[in-house]
Amino acid sequence: MGCDLVTVSTDTQFVHLAWKKSEGELAEVRYPMAADPTGKISRMFGVYDENTGLALRGTFIINPEGLLVNSEVNFYNLGRNIDELMRKFKANLHMSKKPNEVCPSKWKDDGDKTLIPSEAMVGKVHEALVG
Amino acid sequence: MSEEALKLGQKVPDFELNTYDPAEDKFRNFRLADQIERKRWTILFFYPADFTFV
Repeated sequence: MGCDLVTVSTDTQFVHLAWKKSEGELAEVRYPMAADPTGKISRMFGVYDENTGLALRGTFIINPEGLLVNSEVNFYNLGRNIDELMRKFKANLHMSKKPNEVCPSKWKDDGDKTLIPSEAMVGKVHEALVG
Repeated sequence: MSEEALKLGQKVPDFELNTYDPAEDKFRNFRLADQIERKRWTILFFYPADFTFV
């Protein structure tokens, strides 16, 4: 789909290598595992925790023009839902091709109903969604 | 968390990170500028620490 996933933690690339080779849950991993030991990039994205020296669970979607189009940050104890990440990526991809459309809350995949905002829709979103 | 943190809609400044790439079993650099040159979307997925559980 023209998208590259990169994971980032404050571990070094050596730890990533060791973890990848020892942990069975990572056997299928093919994406680059980035190292941010100084926290520079984590701070840039606002996820560096000065108290622990660790990055929070932040996910950021950057479009091919280099714009930050989506962010989600969870605390340490809450995992992120990958279906939701796919939904957000697909929605952003769809809207990059159809800039006059917006994806409503029930949008999940290409083919689902989008809206084309206009003056006529003001106060009439219900009709636009069910009609 | 801090004033320098990026905001949505902002152009992300170019940055570089050392990575371990399992697809090639090699260390290599990741640069955002390369992604933009190749017209690729990028998803950055931050997490606290290797060898932990969630």
